[in-house]
Amino acid sequence: MKRPEPLEIFQPTSLKAASTLVKEQGPGGRFLAGGTDLVIAVKEKGYKPKYVVDLKRIPGLTGIRVEKDGSVTIGALTTMHEVETSPVVLNKYPFLARSAAEVGSVQIRNRATIGGNMANATPSADVAPALIALEAKAKISGLNGERTISLEELFRGPGQTNLAPEEILTAIVIPPASSGLRGDYIKFSPREMMDLAYVGVAVALDLHDGKQCRKARIALGAVSPTPMRARRAEALLENQTVTEELAEKAGAEAAAESKPISDVRSSADYRREMVRVNTKRALLNAVAGEPAFWVERRDRRY
Amino acid sequence: MDNLTVVGKPVTRIDADEKVTGEAVYGYDLVLPNMVYGKVLFSPKAHAKIKRINTDKARQYPGVVAVVTGKDAPWIHGESIRDKPFLAQDKVRYIGEPVAAVAAVDEDTAEAAVRLIEVEYEDLPAYTSPEDAARMDAVAIHENFASYRKMPFITPGAGPNVCEHFKLRTGDVEQGFREADVVLEERYSVPIIQHAAMEPHSAHAQVDPTTGRVTIWVANDAPFRALHEITEALDVPKEQVRFINPLQGGGFGSKGGLKVEPVAVALAYKTNGRPVRVKFNREETFISTLTRHGAIVHVKSGVKKNGAITAREMTIYWNGGAYAEKSPTVCIRGSLPAPGPYRIPNVKVDGYAVYTNVPVAGSFRGYGIPQGAWAVEQHTDELARRLGMDPLAFRMQNVFADGDTAYWGEELHSVGLKETLQKAADAIEWGKKIDSMPGSRVKGLKIGKGLACIQKPTRSPTTSSAGVIVNAKGEASVLAGTVEIGQGCNTILCQIAAEELKMPFDKVRSASLDTDVIPYDASTTSSRSTYHMGNAVKGAAIDAREKLAVLAAPMLEAKKEELAFADGKIFLKHQPEMALTVGEVVRRKFGPEGTVRGDASYTYELAKDLDLETGHSDNASAFYMYATQAAVIAVDEETGRARLLRMAAAHDVGKAINPLNCAAQIEGGLAMGIGSALHEHLVIDQNGKVRNPSFLDYHLVTALDLPEMIPIIVECPEPQGPYGAKGLGEPGLAPTPAAIGNAVADAIGARVYDLPLSPERIFWVIQEKKKGKAA
Repeated sequence: MKRPEPLEIFQPTSLKAASTLVKEQGPGGRFLAGGTDLVIAVKEKGYKPKYVVDLKRIPGLTGIRVEKDGSVTIGALTTMHEVETSPVVLNKYPFLARSAAEVGSVQIRNRATIGGNMANATPSADVAPALIALEAKAKISGLNGERTISLEELFRGPGQTNLAPEEILTAIVIPPASSGLRGDYIKFSPREMMDLAYVGVAVALDLHDGKQCRKARIALGAVSPTPMRARRAEALLENQTVTEELAEKAGAEAAAESKPISDVRSSADYRREMVRVNTKRALLNAVAGEPAFWVERRDRRY
Repeated sequence: MDNLTVVGKPVTRIDADEKVTGEAVYGYDLVLPNMVYGKVLFSPKAHAKIKRINTDKARQYPGVVAVVTGKDAPWIHGESIRDKPFLAQDKVRYIGEPVAAVAAVDEDTAEAAVRLIEVEYEDLPAYTSPEDAARMDAVAIHENFASYRKMPFITPGAGPNVCEHFKLRTGDVEQGFREADVVLEERYSVPIIQHAAMEPHSAHAQVDPTTGRVTIWVANDAPFRALHEITEALDVPKEQVRFINPLQGGGFGSKGGLKVEPVAVALAYKTNGRPVRVKFNREETFISTLTRHGAIVHVKSGVKKNGAITAREMTIYWNGGAYAEKSPTVCIRGSLPAPGPYRIPNVKVDGYAVYTNVPVAGSFRGYGIPQGAWAVEQHTDELARRLGMDPLAFRMQNVFADGDTAYWGEELHSVGLKETLQKAADAIEWGKKIDSMPGSRVKGLKIGKGLACIQKPTRSPTTSSAGVIVNAKGEASVLAGTVEIGQGCNTILCQIAAEELKMPFDKVRSASLDTDVIPYDASTTSSRSTYHMGNAVKGAAIDAREKLAVLAAPMLEAKKEELAFADGKIFLKHQPEMALTVGEVVRRKFGPEGTVRGDASYTYELAKDLDLETGHSDNASAFYMYATQAAVIAVDEETGRARLLRMAAAHDVGKAINPLNCAAQIEGGLAMGIGSALHEHLVIDQNGKVRNPSFLDYHLVTALDLPEMIPIIVECPEPQGPYGAKGLGEPGLAPTPAAIGNAVADAIGARVYDLPLSPERIFWVIQEKKKGKAA
């Protein structure tokens, strides 16, 4: 491992100061959160940011809290481990907790943050599909105050977001969970753990009487330049009872909507097939309220 | 003879504490006073002429101590064929070949300077497939191949890139096929994989400016062989080079021969006596050190309805990469037993080791056996299926047993194969169908069972020598050239010395390895150490014991024959209270700092060399190892994912010197074999570039991928082995992929011919089968 070149690190203590710094220093800088992507990029991949702005001295960016309206705010610097083990998340959005538990290893999850993971915009990020299926929003702070966009709109391409250089992702906001909310996240990768998602599928359904689907959200990871919604597949499900046959149809539709590439990990054709199968499985798991298909890795993890 | 006190006992490894606490110092950790840091410029081209190299900017870079290219290091080395330059000479033959190197005051400076070296290349056609490169009209990767120095048994093939063509000829296969009721021909393939030892490669070197003597610190698995190879290349007497072996953090075959050593030595000649460290990072280790041969295996067999095998014909292409390394011997020792441990009257094998423009392939735990077994053991199941026979029964009918003459002409003894077959099969409840996973509501899950067996020879003939020193404190040290590569050899050899000296185990330790003082050993490879070095250490300990008895006799006023040894004491057999401690005997004779030393050497010699035309030999190997592994697997038909539920591994070790270590070896081998079965594949594109040189995309198994593992030790004693021992290091992973492949085929009702058994590969095989049914 190469020792990184000396680089300038700033440690502002307010959002405003951080944004102002970036404005002053100009392009080529990078925000630092948990560092699990950035540090490796610098040490092993020859990435040389002009300067680094460490966000960890800024108060108020961590923690998970339930708002008055029932929505849940997750601070951008909240670690994956906190998301994975949070009683609030486990209670309201168990499949989001599960998606966080799929990230890297214990050591990585103790360090990696949910905001850093989103701002890094890796197409295969595990929590992105779960959050998008929950219609999560991204809270953004900039020089001219705050704005909120849907998380889906945050992503522009692999490693690219729609944030302006001086803008900072401060929190993820998940709308209140309806009583009929059921969901699932399936990470599909060849190795049981310590692997990237070859395909990630999250579904969130609002079921009436545990059966009729009032609303369906399906989000896919690793099969397009950004995490994506499978809207045509969602439309097939709305106001329907989710049967195995319908889940199969929705899976096929999601596969048709996905835009995977072939690479050293997998062919595009196989990824499409895995979108089909795992979308079906995630839907049926969500309806059943427990995994009906082969449990990938929930019994053992590290 | 079983009044053994230390041998056969599950003693704890003597290096356990230092390793689990992180105290152990490995080759990669070594820091030498005043050392400089080397960095290598690797070829970005798979096959190209070097038009020009400009090192001016690198030489001028502040902090640079030395810059070397092929011109500064005009040496060629190679174990079987002398074909590999220290640094590229006029051309490069694979992406990752060292072209130039820099030594500097620190690693960052060396890295910055190495980037300033400019090289101009002219592309040449590159080969990645051994079948393409083996063609008669292929472009020669080594233009001067004919003039290279080669080991005497090497028989190059007809095409310009075939560095070895091994032939086995027994009976008449055509006649055998005519006699058969069923003839089956198949093609299997095994991808290139890498050893992926936890410790990457490194070497430290220093040249004494006054004497010119070279010292190399490296975790090499065969320091004496490396010493020979490097002194031959440098054309200096053996006394001019010394190897010091620090601990090795795993090798699996990757750390023999010369890997980082040539670059370190080339730089050390230019640093005015300062030691040079060259450490490869993981990516450099992936692209520039060593791989396991990818292989294409064609196999054709004839069988009779009664289950008798009438003939087997095989053609195997071994992808050797850019330099010969150990390809010729992998080809010979992998192709010869490739038809499997079966009685077959008519056998024909052609093995081709082929130069290509991919990273160099060489020895890898198993030495050619896993590739052949992947093909033949699955082929065996396919034959059994066509005959309507149970695969276990079909094997039991045909496998070697004591007294059989193998198809290469050798009469076999101590064959524990049938016992391994039965025990492995029993451990997975062979014959009992499992329709679903207990407690699972999963649909589309298919469960299958499979087994595979192997026979593995060891490198022969070879020699091991050892010394044992007993001091006046009643302690002994073992001087052996066997390298502790993690396999536990130091524990085993100390157990043997303690046994023969009748001393407490905790009083016996291993000396560290330095070719200046340690007696010769051929190599720590080929599962040969327990047998060869075990015999040498046993002999040396007996020699020391005899000398101690001679010294003790007058002290105890007895004849030597009246003496006995136990618990670190020498005493009169009929009057045990008349006793002296071993240390006291040494002290009385030689004083408190005195020592008594015993020495011995063990050589397994061949009565007759391999016949180069027929591949026949009366005794091709000092001993043979036998093993059967059996797998239970669940395949998710919708995704193609296979998950192992249980694996049993029954290994005939002759005699377990340390049952605990044997079980650990078997489990470690299984884990590695499971990785090679399910995940591992060094992806090399058509341009010869490794596409996954990191653990992100080169998948080893993790603990979570491992099933319930059942190691089974079978002891069918080898008369020449110490206490009956054979070897165990390599077979652990050899039958694993084939056993898993057979289990997958049993589960999904279709055969997968290529490794790895990735979800995607299995998925498409299932789709093909469905299409076939629909059509």
